[in-house]
Amino acid sequence: MKLSIRAGLGVALAAALSLGLTACGGDSPSDDPTGGADSASIVVATETIDHLTPGNHYSAYIAILSLFTPLTSLTQDEQLEYQQAESVTSDDGITWTIKLRSGWTFHNGEPVTSDSYIDSWNYLAYGPNAWVNSGQLRGVVGFDEMQGDNPTTKTLSGLNKVDDLTFTVQLKTADRQFPFQLSDGQTGLYPLPKAAFEDLEAYDQFPIGNGPFQMATAWTSDSSDIVVKAYPDYKGTKPALEQITFRPYQDTNTAYTDVLAGNIDVAAVASGKNAIAQQELGDRLHTLDAPGVDLLGFNPNDPRFADVRVRQAFSMAIDRAAINQAIFSNSQIPATSLTSSSMPGDPAGVCGRYCEFDPAGAKALLAEAGGLTGQVVLLYVGGWGQEDLFQAYANQLRQNLELDVVATPATDFAEFQERLQSGDYALNRARWGALYPSQQDTLHSLYTAAGDGNFAAGGYHNDEVDALLAQADAADTIEASFAIYRQVQERILADFPVIPTFGNRYLWACSERIDQVPSAAGTVYFARLTLK
Amino acid sequence: MATALRWGKRLGGLAIVFLGVTFIIYLAVFALPGDPIRAFAGDRPISDSVVATLRAKYHLDDPLWRQYLDYLLGLFQGDLGTTFNGRPVADQLAARWPVTITLALTAWVLEIVFGLGLGVVAALKRGSLVDHGLLAVTVLASCVPIFVLGVLSQQVFGVKLGWLPVAGVRSGWPVSYILPASIIAVFGLSAVSRLMRGAMVENLGADYVRTVRAQGFGEGRIVGLHVMRNSLIPASTYLATDLGYLLGGSVIIEGIFNLPGVGNLLFESIRSHEGPTVVGIATALIVVFLLTSVLVDAIHALLDPRVRRG
Repeated sequence: MKLSIRAGLGVALAAALSLGLTACGGDSPSDDPTGGADSASIVVATETIDHLTPGNHYSAYIAILSLFTPLTSLTQDEQLEYQQAESVTSDDGITWTIKLRSGWTFHNGEPVTSDSYIDSWNYLAYGPNAWVNSGQLRGVVGFDEMQGDNPTTKTLSGLNKVDDLTFTVQLKTADRQFPFQLSDGQTGLYPLPKAAFEDLEAYDQFPIGNGPFQMATAWTSDSSDIVVKAYPDYKGTKPALEQITFRPYQDTNTAYTDVLAGNIDVAAVASGKNAIAQQELGDRLHTLDAPGVDLLGFNPNDPRFADVRVRQAFSMAIDRAAINQAIFSNSQIPATSLTSSSMPGDPAGVCGRYCEFDPAGAKALLAEAGGLTGQVVLLYVGGWGQEDLFQAYANQLRQNLELDVVATPATDFAEFQERLQSGDYALNRARWGALYPSQQDTLHSLYTAAGDGNFAAGGYHNDEVDALLAQADAADTIEASFAIYRQVQERILADFPVIPTFGNRYLWACSERIDQVPSAAGTVYFARLTLK
Repeated sequence: MATALRWGKRLGGLAIVFLGVTFIIYLAVFALPGDPIRAFAGDRPISDSVVATLRAKYHLDDPLWRQYLDYLLGLFQGDLGTTFNGRPVADQLAARWPVTITLALTAWVLEIVFGLGLGVVAALKRGSLVDHGLLAVTVLASCVPIFVLGVLSQQVFGVKLGWLPVAGVRSGWPVSYILPASIIAVFGLSAVSRLMRGAMVENLGADYVRTVRAQGFGEGRIVGLHVMRNSLIPASTYLATDLGYLLGGSVIIEGIFNLPGVGNLLFESIRSHEGPTVVGIATALIVVFLLTSVLVDAIHALLDPRVRRG
């Protein structure tokens, strides 16, 4: 019953500010669910929120995005756009100069300066503080020296203040994707005011940001509403909304029912509910492209999968279109590469025939590789509402390859990880939600040894991939980087360490008042949401 | 003197039960497979350094006995520990108990009024169509899975008719609690009404009733004063125990109706392997159970003089 938002809707590890405006039709007179108190005020359902401090939260992206403005973001046509930054420039790709817009203030009136960033980043990077988003700074010189139990320094040596509105960042290696890393999804890189460091606990309940909305009242309990109102002195684009109430729901199904009852304006919908939601909501159901990908990984220690042809045969035996139809009612995107199709420069089709359904070819390829015996256990996480999906994968593999394939749930994510470590499986579910709109994030995280998601990709790594990635990161222009990231994907897919299955799209149920639903990496971007 | 000794023994017993139960719960949470910190991150990135620091912060690398001992020491200083989100468990409980208590008491009162009422009606009309009808309806209703009933009632009363809120507690008592409490009460109704009916039927045929009737008392007085009071014993035992369960919170109902209660907190903390939170809630629940057991005794004594003298 409990449907984790993490499952179908993905973690809001967000990034791209692709303003995919989907028009909400329906000409019926608007109905005010908030009781007509304020027409520009909406109520939004969220999952339970852990923290409101941008460097130390996992599940508050939807709320934090309204309280803070990032340095950069991406426009609708995937061009970099400066927000709090006036410019982010570098000659060599190693030393970056960030100039801030002048005159911007935090909600308490404190000006946003280079110190707001330097102090915030120093605190984030300092290992003993254990802020969960600290990894977002790992590319900066001095980060490694700040880890461990007793680091000798509390400051990032790669940061240098030039003046009140200018600072430089020195990276460990040349990285032209750095400006993308400064966009919305990397909330750890948001600036903090001086007030934050005076009392971090109080700050977590009443975050003071530099964004279009400010806290209306303190957030005191994880079951209480988070209410934000427009910040009158905001220097960026003024939002159309006056007030947003973020209301935590334990069960996404209940939030959806509350949209039907007219009590909620925006709520996430599990991808498995697409068909019924389309029927019940019509054009009030919005589908936003997200930078996440679903995959199936292999047990690297299972000798039966040592031959690349076996792994390719498994991929060819999965009918992605049929699963998309049956399980997601076509709301997801069958994968043809290692990144989602909305990712800038996504080399669509790079997976070639190995991501196309071909049962005869799959069987032939498996036979050529000497076949496979014994039971194949497909391990997934139970309780996330994904039972049907993994049963469907198992059924297809069983029928199309004539193998003994069973889908087995782990009781929760902790047990899932434990079983991955102990090697008690053959195939595993895997997913990556990119933090910023660059292929860099997905490819580094899953397919390099140091990546945070590497465990899900069977610990895959390859020196040639690492070298190509470094080249791609250092490429002078975006176009040049796209060409090399394509080579990275080709090189990885030559080893075929994972089965790419779907690119993610998130579903949102809206009330009749909602007009345009702009997207920030699949999450609704409230600063630009408009009402009818 | 004898009374003091009895109470001393009883309190000593309670302490042993308390220690045993908290240790078993701690052990159970400790034995859950996997690393809670990595699970907390899930698919989201977390660096090894952060994992190590957080593990140290929550003493997850200590052996079980050490963790448990630390926990007990904290408990005696009035510290129930903190959740992985850094909030004190005591604050969480304080914020959530009122919801669960309101829900439990509302459901309980509904069970008493309707359960006993239906039982009395069934007993007085035993063998009739009403009796059989009540049996069928209460048993059928309690056979429907609780979440089906919950979701169905939300659709009917929340969406279609719009009479009651779908979820949450913002409309306050009683409006917000009517649907969830009724659904919880449905599951206790059949037991309470059956117990009441059975006891009533038995007592209606008892010798003392025949004697009272022979003395010429009216039927109303016989049923009201003598039969009902004596028939309350089995149902009241059930009801008091049930209150203990209800105060533990209903995970499913609190989840479906988005009620921020104790049941849901317990469920979430088991899911995230938060030993201190689980034990903190469980400790509070044990106290509630022990108190309700005292309540059962008191009610028995009130209803049955033999218990008082014995």
